[in-house]
Amino acid sequence: MLYKNYVKMHLKSSFEYRFNMMFISVNQLLIMVGEILTVYLLFLQFESVAGWTFYEALLMLGVIYTVYSTVEMFARGYDEFPKLVQSGELDRFLIRPVNIHYQIFGSRVEFTKIPRILLGIVISVIALTNLAVDWTVWKVLVLIATYVCGMFVIFGLFLLNAGVSIFTIENLEFLNIITNGSKELAYYPINIYAKWLARIFTFIIPIACFNYLPLSFIMETGSVPMWLCGVAPLFGMLFVVPCLLFFSMSLKHYKSTGT
Amino acid sequence: MASIIKFENICKNFKVPQKAEGRFKMIKNFFCRKHRIIEALKDVSFSIQEGEIVGYIGPNGAGKSTTIKIMSGILTPTSGTCVIDGLVPWQNRKTFVKNIGVVFGQRSQLWWDVPVIDSFELLKDIYKIPDDKYKETLQLLNSALNIEDLLGRPLRQLSLGQKMKCELAASLLHRPKILFLDEPTIGLDAITKLAVRDFIKYINKEWGTTIILTTHDMNDIEALTNKIILIGKGRILYQGSFEKIKEKYSDEKTIEVEFAKDYNKVSLAGYKVIEHNLRFATLKTLPNTKFHTTDFINQISKKYEVVDFQVSSLSVDEILAKLYKEYEL
Repeated sequence: MLYKNYVKMHLKSSFEYRFNMMFISVNQLLIMVGEILTVYLLFLQFESVAGWTFYEALLMLGVIYTVYSTVEMFARGYDEFPKLVQSGELDRFLIRPVNIHYQIFGSRVEFTKIPRILLGIVISVIALTNLAVDWTVWKVLVLIATYVCGMFVIFGLFLLNAGVSIFTIENLEFLNIITNGSKELAYYPINIYAKWLARIFTFIIPIACFNYLPLSFIMETGSVPMWLCGVAPLFGMLFVVPCLLFFSMSLKHYKSTGT
Repeated sequence: MASIIKFENICKNFKVPQKAEGRFKMIKNFFCRKHRIIEALKDVSFSIQEGEIVGYIGPNGAGKSTTIKIMSGILTPTSGTCVIDGLVPWQNRKTFVKNIGVVFGQRSQLWWDVPVIDSFELLKDIYKIPDDKYKETLQLLNSALNIEDLLGRPLRQLSLGQKMKCELAASLLHRPKILFLDEPTIGLDAITKLAVRDFIKYINKEWGTTIILTTHDMNDIEALTNKIILIGKGRILYQGSFEKIKEKYSDEKTIEVEFAKDYNKVSLAGYKVIEHNLRFATLKTLPNTKFHTTDFINQISKKYEVVDFQVSSLSVDEILAKLYKEYEL
């Protein structure tokens, strides 16, 4: 399979810079540990924040880490789309008999994200084992859907980022606010923020759909009807559809302007 | 012979944001941008026959890259029609690109840190080339380009010339019917340049590949092409054989003369004296003078005592510079 070959190529390239890779991984792990400590210290001060306990918040952190790092590992090409345009790689993709998305996925595979993904999973497991949950089949399904939904939403944000970068030739730093900002917002159950902010991140960028809504479903708490909390991850996944459309539109624009 | 590339009335406009100066204008510009339309190609038409090698020349910014990008389906034109090998490049992209190969002289398609052969294997998968065909093609390219020893090394260890050879091989692995070469000899040393030229000719002969190349090296044009297309300011200025253009300027000669003794003043009817330094003089034919060696000898030996003289025609580069000047490029 072609993708397997892409991965092999990236592995070979990465191994040329083994030490570099190790340092990046360690560096990123340290940042994460710092972030986890921040959450921990916060909960040392206050027993609960907006009704959420430490392990509930930790689960949110575990979800966003796992999800974000996984998308970063495989869809980095979208994140670095301006580079693909500037270096002419995108032109290359357009003259290959392979789907564009397939090639963008193939263009970057970042193995340095693996430790982060693993840490995300470890945090999730620690949080889950310390939470008193009456597990049912539905809850397990919602939990799995939460992770999948998270990946869809983050991938959607990457697509938006890539699409916008075609229109604005300059590499606009404020775009990072959308992706990174969303990510950092998702470190906590987002109903702790102001209502208007929580609304934006429920209905426009559906962070809540892989955050406090499924968490409410699993913990059987909160004021939102349970069935709504349960289907929220499915609703959130739909976010990727308009993002894909926007990206295709941008690509069309690229083909007519060549910027 | 059937024409494999047909370009009809292609126009391509680019909308370029106008640059504003001053702090406040920059902020204003951010919210409402003014655009300027640049006409990169204006009503460009030409056709290329199957198996031809065509030189696509013109000064920087004339629209060469834009044309190549339209032909390879990367860009869609603003108006006009283009049919290549029976297909419209920007429609049915995946089917179309199987038949073309593109080398951008300054941008590599190979992986920087990985042995070249691995990049080739990836291309084999991308183009779904069957094993036996791949082996056969690779062997042929290996012997023609003499790159067998390079394939095991990562790209970053190769010299510019070696890279270009691998680049050429990479774009031909799937045996495209049409090959676009964007400045394939840029920055190469004399030996590699000759090797690349020979290879291009060989591929054209062996596989009947139609080749379109852009270059600033006029020797490439002379050595390779049957036909040139001259573009300037987005318009086609000339298309046809290069010989014809050369003929047009062949009457213009420069003659360097060495005299037997010092002369203080030199003049000759029908010639312009460009340089004169006692024993040596450089003459140039005036526009209406038809140079003829015997006549020249008779004419000049009547007035001066001549030891030696040397006649030269315009160099290819000079001809091109003249052409550009003539079209005010």
